[in-house]
Amino acid sequence: MSQKTILYVEDNEFNRKIVRQLLAKTKYKLREAHDGESALRDALEDPPDLILMDVQLPKMSGLDATRQLRAEKRTAAIPIVVITSYALSGDAQKAKDAGATAYLAKPYSPRDLLAKIRELVPEA
Amino acid sequence: MRLDRTDPLAAFLLRTPLGALVRWVAGVRSSVQRKLLAAFLGIALLVLAMGAFSVYTMRGMSRQSELLDQAHQRLDWSQQIHHSLAMQMHLTAMALLVRDEKALGSILRENNRFNEALAHLESAVEESEKLVIQKIRAGQEEAMTLVADIANLVRDGKIDAATRLHGTREDPLYRSIDALVAEVVQKENARMVGLRDSLRSTNQRSLVVIGSAAAVAVLLALAGGFVISWALIQPVHAAHGFLNEIAAGRLGGSVTVQNRDEFGELAAQLTATSRELARLDEDQRRAARELGALNARLEQASKAKSEFLANMSHELRTPLNAILGFTEMLTDGLYGAVPAEFAEPLADIQTNGKHLLRLINDVLDLSKIEAGRMELALSEYSASDVVTSVRASLRSLAEEKGLHFRVVVDDGLPEIVYGDPKRVTQCLFNLAGNALKFTKQGGVTIRAARDGDSVRYSVTDTGIGIPEDHLGAVFTEFRQIDSTITREFGGTGLGLSITKKFVEMHGGRIWVESRLNQGSTFHFTIPIKARVTSTV
Repeated sequence: MSQKTILYVEDNEFNRKIVRQLLAKTKYKLREAHDGESALRDALEDPPDLILMDVQLPKMSGLDATRQLRAEKRTAAIPIVVITSYALSGDAQKAKDAGATAYLAKPYSPRDLLAKIRELVPEA
Repeated sequence: MRLDRTDPLAAFLLRTPLGALVRWVAGVRSSVQRKLLAAFLGIALLVLAMGAFSVYTMRGMSRQSELLDQAHQRLDWSQQIHHSLAMQMHLTAMALLVRDEKALGSILRENNRFNEALAHLESAVEESEKLVIQKIRAGQEEAMTLVADIANLVRDGKIDAATRLHGTREDPLYRSIDALVAEVVQKENARMVGLRDSLRSTNQRSLVVIGSAAAVAVLLALAGGFVISWALIQPVHAAHGFLNEIAAGRLGGSVTVQNRDEFGELAAQLTATSRELARLDEDQRRAARELGALNARLEQASKAKSEFLANMSHELRTPLNAILGFTEMLTDGLYGAVPAEFAEPLADIQTNGKHLLRLINDVLDLSKIEAGRMELALSEYSASDVVTSVRASLRSLAEEKGLHFRVVVDDGLPEIVYGDPKRVTQCLFNLAGNALKFTKQGGVTIRAARDGDSVRYSVTDTGIGIPEDHLGAVFTEFRQIDSTITREFGGTGLGLSITKKFVEMHGGRIWVESRLNQGSTFHFTIPIKARVTSTV
């Protein structure tokens, strides 16, 4: 089976590093984006198998990016896990409304994140 | 009944001079009581005048009627005289015919009757007629002398002489007297007819005059009533209309009435009240505008605060996410086997990272509660699950400290309740966590039991207890008994305050019983069917 591609959208280098290292020993292929706009561009150009989307991003918020991806035919069906910083109540609902498949609050456990990824997109 | 409605007749009358009179009466500077008194007095005087006039008229009529009676009497006497005279003439003729002077004796009786009637008549007639009466009396006296002469002649058998005397002297004399009497009778008769006619016309006139006077009195009384009542009704109408204006929110106007009585004062007070209301209204509007502006500024500030909180939350969690994430991956051996001596410091990093996360969450929760932005996520949940999960989270801490940690779930506890399970769990976790934190020996017991329409959660410890004078303040933010406690036991002092707010948002209550150095019991109740109450 072909290698599954995961797009991680996150502006913080350390957090990207966690996921990079978390997935390094798996069969997943990781692509990274630093903001909502480039994530959108990347996903539309070559749709990945899963998107991990942080909410607070420069240029375009993760929720807006999720909405736009859902509106595009090529990316409408891709599972999207929205990761928020749990600031205001109703974040989970907002993520759901924007079209998120799943929702994780920061700080997340890398162990749980990997489990969630495997649940949505089997490794191979 | 509509107070401000004027019937068409009154409206018409108010446009006549009567209306001017109404305004004049209203404008008289006097009390309503005096005006009413004057009006009633006026009407009473009118009735009195009317009565007096009637009495006067009736007295005139009875006087005339009396005169008529007298005239009647005089006519009666005149007729008696006339009759008596005729009788005398008749008796004389009879005496001559039967040649008996005794028949003439009856003439004397007739003479008496004649004189009696004449005396009555004389006393009753006017001065001008007394001359005629005297002539009649003189004639009668002469006639009596003649009658005596005739009687003597008859007695002496000188019938012819007697008849001659009768024919030449007595008879003409009687006829002249009779003419005089007839004159009197005619005059009296004419007078009586005149009197009767006068009485009749007086009667009719009186009827007309009394009738008209009565009608005028009634009209005047009605007019008086109209004037006085409208002088009082008009200001009431004006006040009514004015109050309607006020009720409709049109404030600050004025009501003007003609009245310079109590109603005038009332109108002035109404005007003053309306102006005061307008002033208060304006003040209130200004205050509302100011409050609105202030509110907008506060809302702006609150929004800015929320945005700041959201940003801070993100900014704080992002590095914390990295710290906890790397630690977990290290522990999980993602970077290779972890030397045994690293295990404890790694666990310490993790414990402190999680503690830092809880503190951040507490600060955020409290900020949200205070900004009124905290909302409960209501759903059905199991109260015993709440207890179980708190016990599971804190069991290791209790074990580390060597404390017993018991959970008692009452049999009567309802299986499914309604509220925000995450927040109720947080409340019990805070209380139980505190209890374990402040207890060095003994242990902590969590109890859950039904308490009326609520579930009561109680956490009992054998810890340091709370001095009585601090019991009231334990639920206040940033409040710990003193800074040594903070150093020894840690914590921000926010847990109890947040717990209290969540309990109150559920519609429950929280309280504490404690004895210094013996331990504390914290209780809180959550309604079985919680409704969202104000977050502030």
